[in-house]
Amino acid sequence: MLPSRSRLSVAVFLLPPLLVYGIAVLLPIVQSLFLSLFSWDGISSPEFIGLGNYVRMLTGDDVFWTALGNSLGYLVICLVLQLGGGLLVASLLTALTRGRELVKTLYLLPAVISTVAIAFLFQRIYSTSPEGLLNQLLEFVGLGSLARPWLSDVNTVLAAVSIPEGWRFTGLYVVILYAALIAVPQELEEAARLDGASRWTVFSKIRFPYIRPVWITTTIMAATYSLRGFDIPFLLTNGGPGQASELLTTYMYKKAFVGTDFGYASAISVFIVVECLLAVGLIYLLLRRKADA
Amino acid sequence: MTGTATAVRSAPRTSPLPRPRRRRPDRFKVLTAILVTVIVIVQVYPLAWLFLTSLRTEEDFVTGNPFALPSSITFDNYVRAFSLGNLGLNILNSLIVTLGANVLIVILGMMAAYALQVLGFRFSGVVRGLFLLGIIVPVQIALVPLFVDYSAVGALDTYLSMIIPLAGFAFPLSVYLFSSFFEYIPREMYEAASIDGAGPYRIFLGITLPLSTNTIVSVVLVNSIFIWNDFIFANTFVLSDGLKTIPLGLQNYIGAMGNVDWTATFAAVCVTVTPLLLVFLILNRAMIYGLEAGASKG
Repeated sequence: MLPSRSRLSVAVFLLPPLLVYGIAVLLPIVQSLFLSLFSWDGISSPEFIGLGNYVRMLTGDDVFWTALGNSLGYLVICLVLQLGGGLLVASLLTALTRGRELVKTLYLLPAVISTVAIAFLFQRIYSTSPEGLLNQLLEFVGLGSLARPWLSDVNTVLAAVSIPEGWRFTGLYVVILYAALIAVPQELEEAARLDGASRWTVFSKIRFPYIRPVWITTTIMAATYSLRGFDIPFLLTNGGPGQASELLTTYMYKKAFVGTDFGYASAISVFIVVECLLAVGLIYLLLRRKADA
Repeated sequence: MTGTATAVRSAPRTSPLPRPRRRRPDRFKVLTAILVTVIVIVQVYPLAWLFLTSLRTEEDFVTGNPFALPSSITFDNYVRAFSLGNLGLNILNSLIVTLGANVLIVILGMMAAYALQVLGFRFSGVVRGLFLLGIIVPVQIALVPLFVDYSAVGALDTYLSMIIPLAGFAFPLSVYLFSSFFEYIPREMYEAASIDGAGPYRIFLGITLPLSTNTIVSVVLVNSIFIWNDFIFANTFVLSDGLKTIPLGLQNYIGAMGNVDWTATFAAVCVTVTPLLLVFLILNRAMIYGLEAGASKG
């Protein structure tokens, strides 16, 4: 602490940031909690209904449950691609002698591209008429029977909208996990190898435990980013066909800005926040406990 | 096998190793290199395809093999991209929003980090907790309340309506990055300045700010990726064509009945990606540093 600080100086530095943060983040959170207790279409005067919106959401709304299930599916696909893929590529990178920087840069490229552009791109990759990239590729390798309209087939649409999101940010996790992996002390690994440990043992017993704190952070990042995923499903399918790719976020958006059901939409968004907090708590507990064992 | 790997690594080239002992780790490396190459090609191919398509003629795009190089290169798509949409204006709007939000994020982030890390005060733990909340909470929670608030004060459809939430949600991470950097500034520097009679304001401007240049670059780069490409706030709060940022502008390329001039659209995508891509390629070391620092100091 600075010896010459004063209360005034703390206030001068702290209040402007808190003010903007309050307006943009804290106040809206409180407002959402408040609005979720009302029935309101944005025009007529709000009507207090207590927990009515939550009761309706949890007991009377099938679409909500479908969307929740889809959101979890979306989460799983994104986690596998981003964390699994990220860890795999980061581990492979540490074994490379040349071109590491180039690979990292190439991997990060999709993260720089806007979701609208990515949605365009994948719309063309999945399309059937004209024949898209994916279907052409399948025919090329002799799996033409698998070709299908990926975005209008209810069985594939959820995976089809999740993959672009997973793909987009894999590079981010490659970069972070790679930085953690190369920070593992070489002596540890070399000592283990001298003792005859296999590559897998070195990885599972030394490298991975060593990067666990970073792994917890990246898992939390990937999980919360996936649970708030919105752009790509919204742009590619808008939740369709039917509700096959409806996520909680797209459902909430529709309720708010198409149905102008502000109270109900707020209840869903409060649920999304609770879901994120639960996910963070759960990940932290699970990964921590393993670390202690 | 692992024993030889260690031998190769720990014994540098000066001690010549017999050939058979080197072969097995090399095979592992070759396999790794091949695997990485394949993964990178799969990862980057869609982008290369996007770029190549923007140079194809329309007939070539509809009938041609997507894995082949364009049969002839044309820039007509780019001409059409500019005449179909309002790309220049969209780019300008994105620049204004990105610049505005970044200024707020950097200045406010530094100020808050300075108060938390350097000045210190009794309830700093509570304030840190509040900022952490902003990292976890999804942006969707703010959409309805901000829409309601903006319409109450007439702020809908302004640059500010996008800048405020973008800065607000990005700001906690920048506080975090600045805090962890400020930890590394030696206490003695502050103490020496204090003895010379410098107050907290002069120390901020004279010591902390000039030392933070690298962190500022990292913060700006990392945030710019997200802000430049923001879709959800722009789509919710902006209605008039004059304020549309790049993501919204691109949407205009979807014509009536879903008829899309794909080659022109892809050309437009290439144009809008270019500014950020150039910055990224030039400064990617700083950006990668920022990403690594952001997560690994958790």
